[in-house]
Amino acid sequence: MKKLSILLTAMVFAAATFAVEIGKPAPDFTGTDINGKTVKLSDYKGKIVVIESYNSDCPFCMNHYTTGAMQELQRNLAAKDVVWLIVDSVNKKNPSYRTPEQARKELADQKITATAWIDDHSGDIGHLYGMKTTPHMFVIAKDGTLAYDGAIDNRPQPFGDPRTAKNYVSAAVDELLAGKPVTVSQNKPYGCGVHYAN
Amino acid sequence: MRNIFKLTGLICLLATTMAHAAHTEAKLVLATAAARPGDMIWAGVDLKMDAGWHTYWKNAGAAGLPTKIEWQLPPGVTAGEIEWPLPQIIPPTEVITYGYEHEVVLLVPLTLATNLNPGPLVLKADVSWLECKEQCVPGSAKVEATLNIGSETKISANAAMIESWRGRVPKAGNIFPFRAAWEKPATGDMRPLLLVLPVFEHDKWPPITGANFFPDASDEFEVQAAAEMISNPSVEFEFRKLVKKFSGDWPKQISGVMVIERNGNREGYEVKLPVSGQAPAIAGTSSATALPSQSLWKMLVYAFIGGLILNLMPCVLPVIALKILGFVNESKSEPLHIRAMGLVYAVGVLVSFLALAAVVISIKAAGHQAGWGMQFGNPVFLACLTVLVTLVALNLFGVFEVTISGRALDAAGTLASKSGAAGAFFNGVLATALATPCTAPFLSIALGFAFAQSAAFIVLIFLAVGAGLAAPYVVLSWNPAWLKFLPKPGAWMEKFKIAMGFPMLATTAWLFNLASGSYGKNVLWLGLFLVVMALAAWIFGEFFQRGRKRRGIALAITLVLLIGGYAYALENQLRWRETVAETATTGSLKESPDGIDWQPWSPEAVAKARSGGRPVLVDFTADWCLTCQVNKKTSIEISSVRAKLKELDAVALLCDYTRTPSNILTELKRFDRAGVPLVLVYPKAAAEPPIVLPEVLTPGIVLDALDRAAH
Repeated sequence: MKKLSILLTAMVFAAATFAVEIGKPAPDFTGTDINGKTVKLSDYKGKIVVIESYNSDCPFCMNHYTTGAMQELQRNLAAKDVVWLIVDSVNKKNPSYRTPEQARKELADQKITATAWIDDHSGDIGHLYGMKTTPHMFVIAKDGTLAYDGAIDNRPQPFGDPRTAKNYVSAAVDELLAGKPVTVSQNKPYGCGVHYAN
Repeated sequence: MRNIFKLTGLICLLATTMAHAAHTEAKLVLATAAARPGDMIWAGVDLKMDAGWHTYWKNAGAAGLPTKIEWQLPPGVTAGEIEWPLPQIIPPTEVITYGYEHEVVLLVPLTLATNLNPGPLVLKADVSWLECKEQCVPGSAKVEATLNIGSETKISANAAMIESWRGRVPKAGNIFPFRAAWEKPATGDMRPLLLVLPVFEHDKWPPITGANFFPDASDEFEVQAAAEMISNPSVEFEFRKLVKKFSGDWPKQISGVMVIERNGNREGYEVKLPVSGQAPAIAGTSSATALPSQSLWKMLVYAFIGGLILNLMPCVLPVIALKILGFVNESKSEPLHIRAMGLVYAVGVLVSFLALAAVVISIKAAGHQAGWGMQFGNPVFLACLTVLVTLVALNLFGVFEVTISGRALDAAGTLASKSGAAGAFFNGVLATALATPCTAPFLSIALGFAFAQSAAFIVLIFLAVGAGLAAPYVVLSWNPAWLKFLPKPGAWMEKFKIAMGFPMLATTAWLFNLASGSYGKNVLWLGLFLVVMALAAWIFGEFFQRGRKRRGIALAITLVLLIGGYAYALENQLRWRETVAETATTGSLKESPDGIDWQPWSPEAVAKARSGGRPVLVDFTADWCLTCQVNKKTSIEISSVRAKLKELDAVALLCDYTRTPSNILTELKRFDRAGVPLVLVYPKAAAEPPIVLPEVLTPGIVLDALDRAAH
């Protein structure tokens, strides 16, 4: 029994070692969005994809949305033909969980213009990508490789104007579009912990 | 009208903030109610969290935000950094954070200027935090407290509470010899790190039931929170952590808090650990397999150079006398014969080093720690070596001969070459035996490395040292040209041989003195045995070897003297094979009235001195370590260093390795040394790592290190 538990721990460690990696193909996933539509990452091959780990009750996310900075970024990137996927991995028992109806209302109220809001209450996509916080951001290049994994910007505060910070996501997208290597490809995401299902 | 809307909005905003942030209550407490100008007082921000809610440590971990204190202090009051009590691990496992539940008091030292006016002072701060349970909410509070400035210091009702929270702040200073090492090369941006505490005075400490490492926050990398304990009976504990690299190189050093659980308590220790390239040695053979071959080559070269330099260290000098004699002896021989002798000497050295390697490997296999020169802590070894070296001196004096044909110096041919071979081999063994109490530059690095490796590496490194030690003689014996510089063999050689007996006799005196450290006054019996043995050697040489009649009686008397002397003096009186109890040393170890005020070394003594903000000089030494003794005479126990220690108010700690207690070996291993000498200077700033001085010292090196330590 003890051996088994050691083996299991070792497997957890092995799994953690082989999480998503910069420069490697981003793992494909299939999810259901808040309109019941199936969303498959590989359907967007050939386009830059931004993934956002989302929970609008988290004060860090909330600040990005109440100031309008996040919606502005979504619009700017959409104009550059960038796909934006919101992944909401909050479990169903958490007060921050949104039913599809609540989510549709929030999307409209907040004027969110993401390509899709994926309901990931099982945490499958969150775990696959090793999402730690909300907001934890990923940028996938047109060839399907992971180009950025980390914080949205260099200002880990739940207050103030995010536009004054250096936004890593928009920098990574601009560099990818210009055909340049991504300067900051990885850092530690900040925010609230993702409220995964147990 | 617009203003009313604004106001209502503001009230609403405030109301929501208050409602949301109601899970944590903050207040400012002071340890003193009244203080004098110039005092340092402790302030605490007391955060009380509702059940299930938590706030964060200075490194929040995978998510969260550290609590922030922004002071508004009157002129003349300055706040120091926050001292954070040891946090706890907060689940879930996917997103582990470090924080506090129920309550925490964040401690801040406040310094009062000497020119403060008497009267009450209001101290204010804005405290902001993130509190989380199922959701996260930012919180903030304005807190204040009043301090009376007057002519006396009075503690407040909160003094005991603040004191108890100060007891939960991780202790500074490396009391425990923790080590960190990469387990293997990185997989992508992840790399496994091993954290180890080697065996550490089992009997004095309650067993450690758990351990963890809480890292300081870093932008370049993240030591992840999950810890995997590794069951390894040869260390106190060992666990694995994954390090994720964001940018830059793999860290050369990690800092944070090492957490130890024992007796149901958790203790934190501030650490700054260099991360070594390969797994720590104590882990055994399996971890040493991933050793990069490049560093092995470098270590082999170091070992060879170290062995070469060993010839010049004081330990081996008496053997050099023997070697000179050997070369003079051989100078008239065939070049081929001389070469053969050189090689036989080398084989003697190498075989001895193989034997040493075998001993080290077997000690390690038995789960103990091995150190270079450790056999000099063993009285039985010392007694045997004393007897052996006395016999060599007696032989050089001509009291007796080792070989049948030895006296026929001009005899050539097969017989002489055979006996000469035995002599050369013996010289090699003796050179090795006497070389072990010395380490030399390069040698200590290579040995420190070797002792940490698997059996195969130990053998290779030891052979390289042996090759270095023997190399000069092999090279010299290979080139007959130099022999021209030696005087012609003749009657003078007999006198030279006798003269060479005296350095050997000096070695006997030194070894005898070392043995007295173990045997105390009873060492007299060892001395008497040496005299009886000398008498036996004389009867053997004079009446058996050189005698014509009644040689049997001479041999019988020799044996009676040897056996009787051994049985009575060594077995009956000295009880030479019994281990002698160590005597504990306390108080000053001053060598002379105006000498350095040495105090006995212990990890606790180092930590105590450093917590007092004093630089510390530590001398790891041993009676038998001649390099250490030379260092002490030339560069440590000298007037300029004494004056410098006084001037800097430095603490001098002496660590006696003579009888190799295991915690000293552990400490030596931390600095990748297999033996003494090791001289350390700990800087005044407790966070700074110690300065490791080189093996061979000069006054300049010691004074310079002390100066750096004081800044």
